[in-house]
Amino acid sequence: MKAALAGLLAGVLLNLPLSAASGAPPTFHAAIAPVIYRECSPCHHAGGSGPFPLVSYRDVKGHARQIADVVRRRYMPPWLPEHGYGDFADERRLSDAQMRLIEDWVKAGSPEGDPSAGPAPPQFSTGWELGTPDLVIRASRRYLVPSSGPDVFWNFILSPSIGHTRYVKAVEIRPGNARLVHHANLLIDRNRSARVNEKEPGAGFPGMDLSIESAVADPESHFLFWKPGSVPYEQPKGLSWRLDPGNDLVLNVHLQPSGRPEPVQPSIGLYFTDVPPDRYPILIQLEHDGALQIPAGAPDFLVGDDFTLPLDVNVLAVYPHAHYLGKLLEGYATLPGGKRKWLVRVPAWDLNWQAVYRYREPVFLPKGTVLSMRYHYDNSASNPRNPNRPPKEVHGGNQSTDEMGHLWLQVLPVGTKDQRMILEEAMFRRRLQKYPADFSAHFNLGGLLLSRKDAAAAIPYLKDAVRIEPDQPAARNTLGAALESEGEWDEAIGQFRAALRSQPRYWNARYNLANALARQGLIDEAIEEFRQVAEANPGDAAAREHFMEALRESGDAYAARGDFAKAAGRYADLAKLKPGDADLRNSLGTLYARAGDLPRAIEAFQAALAIDPSHQGARLNLKMARQMAH
Amino acid sequence: MIYAADMGAPRRATMFSACALLLCTLYAAAAPPPTNLRGESVDLFSSNAKARVLVFVRSDCPISNRYAPELKRIYTEYQKEGVEFWLVYADKAETPATISKHLQEYDFGWPALRDPGYTLVKRSHATVTPEAAVFNASGALVYHGRIDDQYVDFGKSRLRAGKHDLESAIAATLAGKPVAEPATRAIGCYLADLE
Repeated sequence: MKAALAGLLAGVLLNLPLSAASGAPPTFHAAIAPVIYRECSPCHHAGGSGPFPLVSYRDVKGHARQIADVVRRRYMPPWLPEHGYGDFADERRLSDAQMRLIEDWVKAGSPEGDPSAGPAPPQFSTGWELGTPDLVIRASRRYLVPSSGPDVFWNFILSPSIGHTRYVKAVEIRPGNARLVHHANLLIDRNRSARVNEKEPGAGFPGMDLSIESAVADPESHFLFWKPGSVPYEQPKGLSWRLDPGNDLVLNVHLQPSGRPEPVQPSIGLYFTDVPPDRYPILIQLEHDGALQIPAGAPDFLVGDDFTLPLDVNVLAVYPHAHYLGKLLEGYATLPGGKRKWLVRVPAWDLNWQAVYRYREPVFLPKGTVLSMRYHYDNSASNPRNPNRPPKEVHGGNQSTDEMGHLWLQVLPVGTKDQRMILEEAMFRRRLQKYPADFSAHFNLGGLLLSRKDAAAAIPYLKDAVRIEPDQPAARNTLGAALESEGEWDEAIGQFRAALRSQPRYWNARYNLANALARQGLIDEAIEEFRQVAEANPGDAAAREHFMEALRESGDAYAARGDFAKAAGRYADLAKLKPGDADLRNSLGTLYARAGDLPRAIEAFQAALAIDPSHQGARLNLKMARQMAH
Repeated sequence: MIYAADMGAPRRATMFSACALLLCTLYAAAAPPPTNLRGESVDLFSSNAKARVLVFVRSDCPISNRYAPELKRIYTEYQKEGVEFWLVYADKAETPATISKHLQEYDFGWPALRDPGYTLVKRSHATVTPEAAVFNASGALVYHGRIDDQYVDFGKSRLRAGKHDLESAIAATLAGKPVAEPATRAIGCYLADLE
């Protein structure tokens, strides 16, 4: 505060001789309008997110003193990063000269000047900025923001209806009521894992931050972010992202009550491309929420994290995030030679204006570079935003009264191959260092090693994960899969059964169990498991195929042992799954005949002939069966 | 003219206070009086209210809008105690139609005045919206400033207000006690300069 005041005084003093020197005062059209149109009007226009328009001379004059004051304090335009600590595209920041110009103009009585001396006022589209989207998804229900009270953090689940996989090159987020929405984050939910948070489908759910399951082979890779005044961003070629049928998109929205109850119903527009991605960025997260145990009253509590890059990368964008106690947020890289390169520095953190910042040019960082975050928190009573009065000890967590310290970086590994797994492995190992008893660190690292076909290395991590959370079915299932590939079939079966005890409808685990049982020759048990999987998932072709294989194997085994009645039972099941197979019905008839059930044998041969009248075997068999029946 | 009398005429007029009185009279004569939404001039100091509360607002100020529910609460609480409440729109660009719509949308529940001549602005020492002024029964300004301490600066607010300055000033005035902190700094949107 003191530093700001001193700066302000210095500015005024410096400014005096300058304004005295320049003869005529600046006028709106010639001097002020170019600044306002570029820096203010994109939000401050009719229908925009700003509370009042700043486009015409009357608009600007009516708020002239306010404008001079808020730009001098750098409250407007809102822009958190410190200039010179990272070079960002779309930096919204007035130069000192522009600030002085506005001040001089206000002091001179805000003269209008000659309209022809300045640019024409900007036009703002009321529709989609990138043209008509290929797909528009609107939240199925409105959320009613109450008239007063603390800010609201609400999540809308959007379910795109697409028949096949699409590649998305741009998303435009329309918050529905721009004046209430402070920012919005769109997350891809491939497993529809967020739906469990809804009280009923479509209801949405509260929460400031959310964690969403994602596959190791397909980690989060893009920031899909909206803030007031942001222009939708089209991904360069090769950096599109995949959207599969059945994926959900979760829109996390920060809303501020306006004084009257107002509904919000956001929508998003998706723009597709035929070009699938061939470059694979990934989001790296630095954090140490586990160390966020901020004592009541602490005015400067520090939390840090460091991460060593296992390969060369280009950093595309950065997203610093903390809650209400965040004060000074720093992110930097220490190059292998020891030189520091700033990634971002936020000297006065303000949750309300958080944003994703995209670098003007990608920032190259070589392998061995250490990424660091150093976040400072003020949990004293003199932090007006402190949610607790008097202050109390605050811990890491998702609620707005909890605290958080995340530095997200979008990086693109250098090279043509998909190298995300190398980065992920390093990230999981780092997490394991920070949280030696953490379930997800063990589980993710084990899962990654297994997907790299290194089951032997995966098993110890997965066993630890199971030990930490014995009822977590996914860990049991993954451990089972790893044991299976090491030939530990019995142990694998035990893990699959344990997974199914905590979650009977866990079809992946049941499918794995069935396969393992079949592999162990427990074919009848396998069939019962396959039957459940196939019946519950009619679209699962692999389950159906394995189910049929098992039925055939079991049928043949019974037949080899001379138990033709049981063999026929298996083939009858098989025939139901393959309605157009004449051979199968011919074999089924033969089994019935050998079991002595001639009426059924005749029926089966007739069925074969109905499908294929030219089936010679069936015709012959039918004839023989009829003779035997007489 | 009217206001000079309401200021509480000094019994022993010294040179100094007589001069102040004169200036005040001249000024009041020059500025247009506040009006209600029908355009009729309103003398809000002629009633026998125990206290009068003015809150300056503007329809495009997000901070004053956010105070609508709190202002309604204060109104409900103290109107029955004999306190009069007025919302004051000082910007001359705010037409009666804009104001009516604003009152309805935000459900303030208060009667409104226009003060394009800044008569009340000056008398209340108001500079921003929302800013409150409390006058006692004899028309003396006993409090002016913020409604509460929720806003600390532009973009800096508490989750909940801790000090309810306007409410305390009203309560003190009703109790015939002096207001503990008679002037505070309000955070909000500047009232435009008079042209």
